[in-house]
Amino acid sequence: MSENNNSLSTQKLLVGIFSILLLIVLIIVAAVEMKQTHEPDLVVDISGINKSCVNCHTQKGIAVKAIDHWKQSLHAQQNISCTDCHTAEEGDFDAFYCPESDFLVAKHPTPKDCAQCHEQQVNEFADSKHAHQFWLIKNTDRSIFENPISTRHGCEQCHNIGNLWPDGSIGECDACHPKHTFSKAVARQPETCGECHIGPDHPHIEIYLESKHGNIFRAQEKNLDMNYSSKDGKAIPIDIPVCSTCHMDGNETQPMTHNVSARLAWESQSAWSFRTVWLDETLGNWEMKRSRMESICKSCHSPDFIGTYLLTADLVNFQYNEMRRLMVGYNKKLTENGTISRLEKDGKFYSDPLLNGWDEEPEYLMYHAWHHQGRRFRHGAIMMGADYTQWHGIWELQDDMVNMLKFAAEQGDTEAIKWVQSNDPIKFAPYALYDIPGNAFGINVLSNTLPYVYNAYPDYWERIEANVRTVYENGLLSEDQWRLWSKRCENKDHYLGTKYNADSVYKIYTDRDVIDTKAMNKQAVELKLPGKPFWIW
Amino acid sequence: MSAKIKKWFMERVPFNQENTSKVMSEIFLREPIPKHMKNWYYALGATPLILFAFMVVTGILLTFYYIPSPDKAYESVRYITEEVSMGYWIRGIHRWASNLMVIAIILHMVRVFFTRGYRKPRELNWIIGILMLGVTLTLCFTGYSMVYNQLSFWATTVGTNMIKEIPLVGNTVLGLLRGGEEVSSNTLTRFFNLHIGFLPTVLFILIVVHIVFVRMHGVSKVEGNENEETYAFYPEHFYHTIIVALFLLAFISALTVILPPGLGEPADPKVTPAHIKPEWYFFAVYSLLKFIPLKVGIYLMIALVIAATFWPFIDDILRKKWPKLRAHYMVGSLTIVLFLFFTVYEIIVY
Amino acid sequence: MSEDDNPQSKSRRHFISKLLMGGGLFASSALLLRHGLDYIFPSMESPPMKKLLIGRIDQIKLGEAKEVQVGESTLYLIRNEDGYKVFSSVCTHLGCKVNWEAHRNRFYCPCHKGIFDLQGNVVEGPPPRPLDEFKVEVDKNLVYMWIEEKSRRTV
Repeated sequence: MSENNNSLSTQKLLVGIFSILLLIVLIIVAAVEMKQTHEPDLVVDISGINKSCVNCHTQKGIAVKAIDHWKQSLHAQQNISCTDCHTAEEGDFDAFYCPESDFLVAKHPTPKDCAQCHEQQVNEFADSKHAHQFWLIKNTDRSIFENPISTRHGCEQCHNIGNLWPDGSIGECDACHPKHTFSKAVARQPETCGECHIGPDHPHIEIYLESKHGNIFRAQEKNLDMNYSSKDGKAIPIDIPVCSTCHMDGNETQPMTHNVSARLAWESQSAWSFRTVWLDETLGNWEMKRSRMESICKSCHSPDFIGTYLLTADLVNFQYNEMRRLMVGYNKKLTENGTISRLEKDGKFYSDPLLNGWDEEPEYLMYHAWHHQGRRFRHGAIMMGADYTQWHGIWELQDDMVNMLKFAAEQGDTEAIKWVQSNDPIKFAPYALYDIPGNAFGINVLSNTLPYVYNAYPDYWERIEANVRTVYENGLLSEDQWRLWSKRCENKDHYLGTKYNADSVYKIYTDRDVIDTKAMNKQAVELKLPGKPFWIW
Repeated sequence: MSAKIKKWFMERVPFNQENTSKVMSEIFLREPIPKHMKNWYYALGATPLILFAFMVVTGILLTFYYIPSPDKAYESVRYITEEVSMGYWIRGIHRWASNLMVIAIILHMVRVFFTRGYRKPRELNWIIGILMLGVTLTLCFTGYSMVYNQLSFWATTVGTNMIKEIPLVGNTVLGLLRGGEEVSSNTLTRFFNLHIGFLPTVLFILIVVHIVFVRMHGVSKVEGNENEETYAFYPEHFYHTIIVALFLLAFISALTVILPPGLGEPADPKVTPAHIKPEWYFFAVYSLLKFIPLKVGIYLMIALVIAATFWPFIDDILRKKWPKLRAHYMVGSLTIVLFLFFTVYEIIVY
Repeated sequence: MSEDDNPQSKSRRHFISKLLMGGGLFASSALLLRHGLDYIFPSMESPPMKKLLIGRIDQIKLGEAKEVQVGESTLYLIRNEDGYKVFSSVCTHLGCKVNWEAHRNRFYCPCHKGIFDLQGNVVEGPPPRPLDEFKVEVDKNLVYMWIEEKSRRTV
């Protein structure tokens, strides 16, 4: 009896233990949540007349993918469908009757249609240089070089972004927001800008992708959701900027804008760099525009870094102008003295010694030094594309200059002959210089011991200061920039790193270099082969 | 008050209260259980019953959200698993309990087989058991196809195709199950019907009959120890059952948390996935069918099923012929070894 | 063993195991029940709302109604003194579709002669409450309404 009771009590104990075990497991069960395997698809309601559009198009197999794209769009979610954009009235330039129906539809929805809802964006866009028809205004002479059919799918395709429509609206929204998803994510993809901002004349996508910004973006893009809204003064939700982040997105301090010119301080695509005056009356002067860009930079960077970086880039732009001055000067001189001539027909000129020309070496060199290398030089400096400032920039610019002077010398220009024959190392700077002590990234105690000008010209920094002061006094640098420059100049021993001594560290590397040189000489330079050359000199 | 209610009730439902409670206690509470049942291994008969109860409860709960239509089946399973609170748990219990039920039944059968629990006069109960095994496996098969993901869709296709090979009735049965030439929405609704209606009912009836048989004969004693002592079902064996139930529920819930029920890819009748496999308990059959022609395999299966069904009688005949021979040991061991071999082979090789 | 013989300690042990069993069983079955109920009654968290464009303000004059089709359901966009309103066309009585009668400025349900006014209120007939109304938002010249987001989430 006692044994029986005992075992019964053990059983009860076991029941208790197991029910508590169950209790624990049940608590865990409640705490666990299942991961979603996928976001459920939202249902798109297609109603009314749009149902007829979709049915007929699907049935006939015409632009079915366009409908699929639309179904993915936010438009579809909000009941904004076919007829809301493709609406037309009799007599509209793009009105046509859908075959076998009495639906009058618009073939080309224009920014006017988009403006029904996105008025602000369309207006901002129209105020931007994206909408500026500069190539029509400026480049009558340019059209002689490339024949029209080549430009149809050439320049026209990109410059379509500023299309001037018969209905008076300007722009092509789907150049960036692809129809019919009108996806923000695609519009933000750097390659969208890179459809046009690419190539030898303005390799912006290449510059971006070789910059730290672009590199980090590529590494992390899988984890970024680029579909965010930038409208409401919220912080930028992605950790690394793409093109549109700096040029368009809003953050806590800046509203979003579709006016890409609102934050640009330079006309650095132009033949001469100049501080922009684009819509100054509404957008403010270049300092205002620059401060907008800096507000975005400040999302990630310190004011000091931003100031130094951009000041340096600004000085690169000024420097470009001095090189440009030399190229233009020689072109003008050679044209005036009849060595080269302008293209002309019936008293109208089709080339310009101050800008371009197509059939003679100096004109050609000058055009390239502006339109290709000159832009790469400047834009690389502004957007962290070191290689574009260096090898695709200054190197090519200097090359153009040397070739220009050689050409002039061959044609008997006495100054050019003197330049060619000179042995003075300073001959590669036949123009005024700009400079800034050190760079934005840090202090290098050695690199500034190198430049020839630093060592050969004791009055170097006075001369530079005079130039920088002049641009400041002409309103081309801001008060703050001038102060920043002066501060650096006053402490140049610090910023140039020359007041620091690292000779002992340096010696390790000079020693290694001796070993390297020895090895190179032994393995390559001094190596003699027994076989004779096959071509005997 | 309560006396009034009781009176009202007894007038309308007149039954002999005293007699009933006496019979009830005789049948359930004081059921004599042989001493050897204190060993846990001998208590496996109740386990499938407990698991069946779990299956019924969770199954009913699952039908609250499940939609038996090819368009929505997968999505509704996903909805249950990912959206409904506690849905993954309910589905997990249903799924794991089904697996454990198969294991428990096999263990129970092994125990009965090796102790020759089926011996005279309990042959018919063995046959009922075999029937229950068949019904359970069919339930598993139909349940698997409910998920309507790639694997289950193609397992259904392949599995039902085998039915075609059954001589004489194959095509008719196939047509009956599929409701057409192909696995289609008809198949899904028929399977659904079988899974939640017909088969559970059949299984329930068989369970009742099975238990009634056990009660009529009494729990079988260990062979050669027919005068074993007994004890009452209540309280000790009752607690046994409670403990097993609690343990199973906790164990299955834990399994669900650790290995939650998967979803896979939605079924696509146009693409057969590279690796399709049935549930593990069909591995042995699945593997065997790769070695021998389908026709032969089906005949072999049928022969095996018949042999298993009538084993108590076969065993009896063998014993009469060779009284010394322990045929059930040899046949049982061989079956287990072959089953394990093919199952493991299938797991390792494919 | 000697402890087992002590009746006091024995009864204490019995008491503890009984308490453990009773408490454990009670707590676990309570939680079991809670989980089950949680499953049966899905959380009534309302689905996210979304904005639908239903018209432009120049399309509708004061006192006018416009039929709007959203998916399978018909709605009425009307403009009254208070601004823009969107009403369901489902009669609150027994679910027939109400019609807009422009000449009488009212919604009329043909089934049991229910009549609603421009504000959606019941004027006459059996309907128990005003027409269901949707939230409306006017953004510049565009009229939006808010409805529950439909997704395959709810199957």
